Amino acid sequence: MLEKLLKRLADGGAHTPESLARELGVSRDMVERMLADLERLGYLEAAGGACESKCAGCPSAAVCAVGTPQRVWALTDKARRKGF
Amino acid sequence: MRNHDEAARSVPSVLGACCADGSGPTQPVGPCTIRVALVGQPNVGKSTVFNLLTGLNQHVGNWPGKTVERKEGIHRCDGVDIQIVDLPGTYSLTANSLEERITRDYIIHERPDVVVMVADAASLERNLYLLSEILCLPAPVVLALNMVDVAQQQGLGVEPHVLEAALGLPVVPMVASKNQGVRELVDTVLRVYREGPRGVCRPDIREDHREVLAELVNLIAGSVPEPYPEDWVALKMLEGDDEITEMMRARLTPEQWEQVHRVLMKHEDAILAIAGGRYEWVRRMTRAALTVPKAGQITLTDRIDKVTTHPVWGLFVLLGVLGAIFWLTYTIGSPIQAFLDRYLIQAGAEWVRTALAGAPWWISGLLADGVIGGAGMVLTFLPILVIFFAVLGALEDIGYMARAAYVMDRFMHLMGLHGKSFLPLFLGFGCNVPAVMGARIVDSPKARLLTILVAPLVPCTARMAVVAVLAPIFFGAAAIWVSWGLIALSLAVLAVVGIALHELVLGGEHVAFIMELPLYHKPNARTIGLSVWQRTMGFVRKAGTIILIVSVVVWALSVLPHGEVDTSILAAVGRFLSPLGALMGVGWQMMVALLTSFVAKENTIATLSVLLGVGGEGAGLAQVLPTLLTPASALAFLVVQVLFIPCAATVATMRQETGSWKWTAFSVALLFILSFAVGIGVYQLALLTGWGV
Ligand SMILES: Nc1nc2c(ncn2[C@@H]2O[C@H](COP(=O)(O)OP(=O)(O)OP(=O)(O)O)[C@@H](O)[C@H]2O)c(=O)[nH]1
Ligand SMILES: [Mg+2]
Repeated sequence: MLEKLLKRLADGGAHTPESLARELGVSRDMVERMLADLERLGYLEAAGGACESKCAGCPSAAVCAVGTPQRVWALTDKARRKGF
Repeated sequence: MRNHDEAARSVPSVLGACCADGSGPTQPVGPCTIRVALVGQPNVGKSTVFNLLTGLNQHVGNWPGKTVERKEGIHRCDGVDIQIVDLPGTYSLTANSLEERITRDYIIHERPDVVVMVADAASLERNLYLLSEILCLPAPVVLALNMVDVAQQQGLGVEPHVLEAALGLPVVPMVASKNQGVRELVDTVLRVYREGPRGVCRPDIREDHREVLAELVNLIAGSVPEPYPEDWVALKMLEGDDEITEMMRARLTPEQWEQVHRVLMKHEDAILAIAGGRYEWVRRMTRAALTVPKAGQITLTDRIDKVTTHPVWGLFVLLGVLGAIFWLTYTIGSPIQAFLDRYLIQAGAEWVRTALAGAPWWISGLLADGVIGGAGMVLTFLPILVIFFAVLGALEDIGYMARAAYVMDRFMHLMGLHGKSFLPLFLGFGCNVPAVMGARIVDSPKARLLTILVAPLVPCTARMAVVAVLAPIFFGAAAIWVSWGLIALSLAVLAVVGIALHELVLGGEHVAFIMELPLYHKPNARTIGLSVWQRTMGFVRKAGTIILIVSVVVWALSVLPHGEVDTSILAAVGRFLSPLGALMGVGWQMMVALLTSFVAKENTIATLSVLLGVGGEGAGLAQVLPTLLTPASALAFLVVQVLFIPCAATVATMRQETGSWKWTAFSVALLFILSFAVGIGVYQLALLTGWGV
């Protein structure tokens, strides 16, 4: 099922945990757990929270439109090397 | 530690001979003792069950050398002593945390007679994942399905019998906090102890991995220390478990290790299939046993998101929101801006001229035309920007921005842009500088470069404010459609440039990503107010510094050397550019205005105001501009303005972030050519069709 999820991601596009849950036929909670697993295994990486660490010196840091605490994940190079 | 271990391990020998309810041939010797371990995720009620069963018969210590509490106690029932250990809560059985190691080590080394897995019925799937791992360990398991009351409250239908049939394990529904089901749990534990385990349904391991596992078991056979089960060790090694792998590496000969290592490297990805198989198993186990209420689960957020994150409708909503922002700006902001222009700027300039009539001409010119006409004029943008900022802030606070970003990404992705790039690009709507800086989060250097190169094509608030001032002057009621069209055009150009560069620079790599969408909530006036205030202050600072300086310089260049605009240095520069302007029917003043917008976008207005606005008869830009440009030229001018080279601050940031003058120059040249090409194209098209000439 993890491979299915990664394949789905490799096809491209934007997903939410909800949309993935619907596609895989599991609960959102399960998807969260899978995402955490994939992150731990190095297939996904947290891409969000960009403004937490990397925007030092950014004039808009205080009022950043996307620096909200929501989480974003993207495939890592490792995942792509493995053919996903 | 040794003492304890030995004590614990010596128990089974005694045990094997007791509790002989017909199960064993030996006669009971002394009181019967069963050892039971309580495992489960944190906060599922393990300690509640433990306390209920052991009462005061418990003692609390620490796990040897560890700070995690070790709770043990005894429950007496029907002449049987049940020794219970309350293991720490864990989410899984990898060796990632202390709790996880304690739990699995306990089960392997101490071999409890029965493992009671306490599960939260309200999050059954997550709990069953842990169960799938526990089932790989050598112990009979009973599933204590706790918190049934909570599941009921949440409208979840959990069928213990169906689950039991699917799992092949005894399942005991319980509400431990109300002491329901605990008695049944004890009975079940005793029964399992006496009857031994049944045919448990374990997660499947894929055919090819089963072969690999067999190969591994072969390779490590004989080297696995007691009391580790060989197949479990092999499985853990295949999963990439560091602790177990290290243990085995120390025990194998270098040659053996070499072979094992080769197998492991070859199947480095096996963990995906193994863990994936567990998830698949969880889904299979819960499919029949768990019913999630359809209607009750669909929250308001879900319902709104059906539309706002829909690939098609979501885009319409986004465009509608943009349209609404402009509508608000034009119905409230622009009239106030026009009012301020007339009664503050024009009247103020007039007043300065009268008051300073006796002073040298350049003093009143500098103040009235340069300072008031230039920087002062830009300050009249304030109402427009406050509206932009307030709407932006409100949308952020409600939670819509995340959806907008999500929809945008879907859309950008179609154009082949890097999935992560949307984050910085989205910042570009506020200001291009953070958009360029934000590209740092894109780790592939090529994708980062691409993001930086297209970032200036995102229309920033300063550009939109210029459009918001100029569009009503030229187009009156149609201004809203023109502005909307200009944004759409920017994004379309961004798409085309993105696709082209993507194919050229990136070679068409596809990247996906997952984004969590926050729940919608009521906007908070304080949060919005703060964001408006900070952004507005940033703008005022800019008007008071860089825009003021440019206004004064533009004014000076417009009167030097002879005190006449027509013979000024600025006019000479403008005339140099006028052949280009002629292609779209705009005069040299407009070209100069564009040029100064390089310093800061708002300077377009400041410059036009210095050059044309604060004229003799108190006629403002609103009166003068329409007489200078046909609608076709005006549209072409706005197109160039929106697509033009970004402001100096953005260019400087591009240089800093790319670390290359070459790419910076490429971007400037690209945008220069692109903006005029599109602008001239629009004008020529208008001429051809006879519109607005
Ligand atoms: N509603 C409800 N609450 C329960 C039930 N069982 C336990 N609780 C409550 O759940 C909370 C957590 O229970 P604990 O027994 O401390 O959980 P635990 O599994 O020992 O947690 P850790 O020690 O952190 O791993 C307590 O407040 C209990 O009162 C139940 O069946 N229904
Ligand atoms: Mg506890």
